[in-house]
Amino acid sequence: MLEETLPHLPRLRRYARLLTGDAARADDLLQDTLERAARKWALWRPELGAAGAADRQGALRAWLLTLMHRHFLTQLRDQRQHLYEEYVDEHAPAHDPQPQWQQRMDLERALAALPAAAREVLLLVCVEELSYEDAARVLELPVGTVMSRLSRARERLRKLMHDEQPAAGATLRVVK
Amino acid sequence: MNTIKNMDEATLHAYVDGQLTPYEAAEVAQWLQNHPDDAQRVLSWRSQRAALQGLHAEMLDEPLPPALLRRLHKPAAPAAANAAQFWRQGLAAACLLAVGLAGGWYGHASWPGGASPPQASGASTPAFVRDAAIAHVLYQPERRHPVEVGADQQEHLVQWLSKRLGQPLRVPDLRADGFALMGGRLLPAGEAQGGGGDHNAARAQFMYESAQGQRLTLYVSVAPAGQGAAPTAFRFAEQGQGAGLTRSFYWVDGALGYALSGPFGQEQLARLGSQVYAQLGAS
Repeated sequence: MLEETLPHLPRLRRYARLLTGDAARADDLLQDTLERAARKWALWRPELGAAGAADRQGALRAWLLTLMHRHFLTQLRDQRQHLYEEYVDEHAPAHDPQPQWQQRMDLERALAALPAAAREVLLLVCVEELSYEDAARVLELPVGTVMSRLSRARERLRKLMHDEQPAAGATLRVVK
Repeated sequence: MNTIKNMDEATLHAYVDGQLTPYEAAEVAQWLQNHPDDAQRVLSWRSQRAALQGLHAEMLDEPLPPALLRRLHKPAAPAAANAAQFWRQGLAAACLLAVGLAGGWYGHASWPGGASPPQASGASTPAFVRDAAIAHVLYQPERRHPVEVGADQQEHLVQWLSKRLGQPLRVPDLRADGFALMGGRLLPAGEAQGGGGDHNAARAQFMYESAQGQRLTLYVSVAPAGQGAAPTAFRFAEQGQGAGLTRSFYWVDGALGYALSGPFGQEQLARLGSQVYAQLGAS
């Protein structure tokens, strides 16, 4: 199993990083996912078409993404983590020009501020470049739901980024 | 090819995501030529997509962490989720603590949501000081990620936070007093209410550490328009007791409210506070 999953791990790891917004939690999530995969490996029967080996790799990646998605949901339920999606960046390279650096920080924060379901769809389609049908299979949702979530997620992210513009007349708010 | 009469949003998304056949895509491209509003939307989605793809792209070339590979070679270790579990419980505890603190302070908040300004005689503790204490308690024990952006990125950090707060910020240098800057983070107002929401009400937290590992946080909050001209007043506030005591020294200077928090005596905190005040004022 190890040899077959290995090529997928860097992408899965990055996906987990963007999903959880935290390097340590991302590696925990990936590790848990792989442990599940190892336990279920014997039961995995990909539906293969004519393409054979290439199909198998695609199916394996989708399967791993599905396992990660399920585990991520379980974690959310367990921890109510969505209340505390703390953003931490350990990989900010020092040589990055200022505007790009700021933009990336803002984008990561905006991404973390999205509901987990919106973030998943957006990452699967935009970053993992899955087809809508494949994303629907990973998330175990109808394609129509995936598309409407995607549309809302895009708009929300755009708004969040827009709202991150300099706070003219910034206000304090009393927390209850 | 100029035959399409209307365009649904789903097709535009599919165009951006490369999910159309070449023929369909060409039709959409044609449509966009004549519909600048749709073209604008497509462009913004496309640049969003590209920006997302760029996030942490460096991880794709990074070697996998050895710990991960070791796990893979001996799967189904019973202690599997321990690390995650630990992290989880830590977070949960922090949440509870934050809620408890918020509860404890409830009723104290009067500024700026309520009537009395902080410098009034017998005034209750302003909201931002309570938030500062919560933020201190929340992040101060953090071993793995005490700050969002490290001190090595100090210049970026200060510019970024200044932009977000809409006010030029400065970071005091407290090395002469035995505290090194660790870094800082941007905090949305209303931590306990979770992500999203009111981005205009952001505050910043800078964290310092002494050689003995004691942590000091400086919390900066922007006063609402019209209430920024409050005169400076130095005050103390306390939260918790015993080992859990968090004392804050706070003041308002122009549009900015500052709270310096840590497990220190009044005298030491006041000394650090006047140091901070002097450095910030020396513009």
